[in-house]
Amino acid sequence: MKGALTKHLNILDYTLSSLWRRRSRNGSVLIVFAGVIFLVASFQFVTGALTETALDALRSAPEITVQRLSAGRQTEVPLDYGGQIAGIHGVREVVPRIWGYYFDEVTGANLTVIGVDLERMPLGEKLNLTLAEGEVPEPGSTGRVLVGRSIKRIVESKGTAYLSLFRPDLSQASFAIAGVFDAATDVLTDDLIVMDIGDARDLFHISPAAATDLCVYVANLEEVPNIARKIAAALPDARVLTRSQISQTYQVVFGWRSGFASVCLLTALAAFVIFAWDKASGLSPEERREIGILKILGWETSDILAVRFWEGALIAGGAFIAGCTGAYIHVAYFDASLFRPVMVGWSVIHPSLRLVPSLQVSTLLLIFCFTVLPYMAATVIPAWRSAIVPTDSVLSGL
Amino acid sequence: MFIELEGVTKIYNQGQINEVVALRDIDLRIEAHTLNCLRGASGCGKSTLLSIIGCVIQPTSGRAAVAGLQPARMPDRFLTVHRRRCIGFIFQNFNILPALTVRENITLPLVPQGLNRRAMAERVDRLLQRFSISHRGNFPAGRISGGELQRVAIARALVNDPPLILADEPTAHLDSGLSREFMEYMAALKQAGKTIIITSHDPQVTEHPAVDRVIDMKDGRIDVS
Repeated sequence: MKGALTKHLNILDYTLSSLWRRRSRNGSVLIVFAGVIFLVASFQFVTGALTETALDALRSAPEITVQRLSAGRQTEVPLDYGGQIAGIHGVREVVPRIWGYYFDEVTGANLTVIGVDLERMPLGEKLNLTLAEGEVPEPGSTGRVLVGRSIKRIVESKGTAYLSLFRPDLSQASFAIAGVFDAATDVLTDDLIVMDIGDARDLFHISPAAATDLCVYVANLEEVPNIARKIAAALPDARVLTRSQISQTYQVVFGWRSGFASVCLLTALAAFVIFAWDKASGLSPEERREIGILKILGWETSDILAVRFWEGALIAGGAFIAGCTGAYIHVAYFDASLFRPVMVGWSVIHPSLRLVPSLQVSTLLLIFCFTVLPYMAATVIPAWRSAIVPTDSVLSGL
Repeated sequence: MFIELEGVTKIYNQGQINEVVALRDIDLRIEAHTLNCLRGASGCGKSTLLSIIGCVIQPTSGRAAVAGLQPARMPDRFLTVHRRRCIGFIFQNFNILPALTVRENITLPLVPQGLNRRAMAERVDRLLQRFSISHRGNFPAGRISGGELQRVAIARALVNDPPLILADEPTAHLDSGLSREFMEYMAALKQAGKTIIITSHDPQVTEHPAVDRVIDMKDGRIDVS
C-alpha cells in the first residue's frame, strides 16, 4: 500500500517536471481554459448574487399580494375585497397599497411611485432606519416624499428643492423631499418615491374606493398557501401572489439571462474541449519515442495513463482555481463590469449595486462538472491510444 | 542455463499480404555471466531476437525462457515488471530524453518501483560517482558530450541492478575511442556477474577479448557455417 502510494507520488513528480518542460504549451492551455472557466463562473456567481439580493429584498414584502385582473390585465382592486380577505382565519392584516410608474421625460427614466399608509403598514416604523438623511413624515401628512438617491440627483439637477410630477390631466403636483434613502438600499430604492397613500391616489387619479393591490399579512407562515387558496376561491377575478411565487419568478428571470449567456459560453467551452481531444489524440514523434522508452524501461500502460491523468488534472485544476478566483474578484470587487449590461437590464437608472458572489458548493460543483470533467475526459480517453505505443519500435530505432 | 530458446519463430503481420518472417526456428542457449555478441547484416533479425530475449515482444511460436521466465505465457503487465527488475537496456543512439537532466534520466526506471525519494537518490548518486559524471547530474542530458551520454545510458541500464544487460548496436554512432571505452565498461560488468548480449557488426565489439561468444545471424536464422 505504502509502495503504491510512493509510486504514485513519484509519477506525480515526473508529471510536474513534464509539465514544466513543456511549460509554454501547457501554460497557454491553462490560460485559455482559465479564461473560459472565468466567464462561466462569473455568470454563475452574478446570477447567484442577484438572486440572493432579490430574495433578501423580498423578506420584508407581504406574505400575499392580491391584485385584480380584468381581461387578463391588472386593474384597480376594490377596497371591499380587503374586508372579505380580513375575514379569512389566519389573516393578520390587510393593507391597501397604491403604486405605479412615472415616466420622467427629461431623463427618460421610469420612476416607481409607492403610496402607503404608514400607520397600518407593518415595519413602517422601521422606515427611518433606511434613510441617509431627513425623516419619515408623520402618517397622514401630505406633500412630503421619501426618495432614492438618483431621484434626489435629478431634482437637484433641475435647480429646485421640490419634486414636481404631473397628474394624468397634466396638472402639476409638487412634493417636498422629506428624506433620502441610504445607499445600502439602492437596489430597492434608487428610483423609488414613497409618499402618503392619499398623495398617490391623487397623483394617479385612483378612486377612493380602490387601490393598486392589497398587502395581506399572515400570522402563521405555514398557512400562507392555504390562505392564498381561500382568497382565490373567494375572489375569482383576483390574482393572488405569494412571496415564494415572486421569488421563483426572480430566479427564473435571472436564471434565463444567465442561462442564455451560459449557452453562448458553452459553445466556446465545447470548442475548447474538442481542441483538447484533438491535442490528446495525436502524438508528436518526440512523445511517441518518450512513451516507447518509458515502457521498455519498465513503465506499465497504467503508469503512462496516470501521467496523462495527472497532466490533465493539474492543468484543469489550476485553471479551475484561477478561473473561479478571477470570477470571484470580478464580481465582488469590480461589480461584474463585463456582464452588467446583460444581467442588470434595461433601466436608465442603475443603482450602485454591490454584488456579493454566491459561493455555494452546488454552484462550484456545477462549474466543475461543466468545465473540468469534459476536459479530463477529452484528454484521458484518447491518452489510452497513445499509451499503447509498441515498445519494440524503440529498439528498432523508429 | 540463463537464456534458452527452442524453435523460436517470429512472424509479423501473419496471414496478411505484408507478412514478414523475422526469425525462423531459433535454437539458442546462453550461459549466465557471459558476454555475447549477435552479429549480422541489417534486417537479419538481431533486434527482433533481442526484443524477444528482452521480453518486449512474444514469439509467434517456440519456447523462450529468460532468467527463469517464459515470456510467451505471460501477460504484458508481468513482462513489464520482469523487464524492470531483471533487464537493463542500452539502445542504439542511447535514447536518452534530452529535456530531462542526467539524474532524471537515470531515475526513470526507478519511478514505477515505489521507492521513496531518498532511496532513489542514493542509487542514482552511486552510479553517477561510479561513472564519474556526478558533476553533470543536474545538466540537461541534451547538452552533454557523446562519451558522457554513453555513461548515462549504461548507468540507467544498471540502476535496478538487473542480471541481464541488452545492448542494441550501442557503438553504431560512436568513434573508436568511445567504442573501446564502452567495451571496457561491458567487460567490467561481466566481471561483476552480469550476463550481456550485444547486437553489433562493429569489429571493435565482436573481436573484443572480453566477448565469450559471437553468434552470427542470417535471414532470421542462426548461421552455424
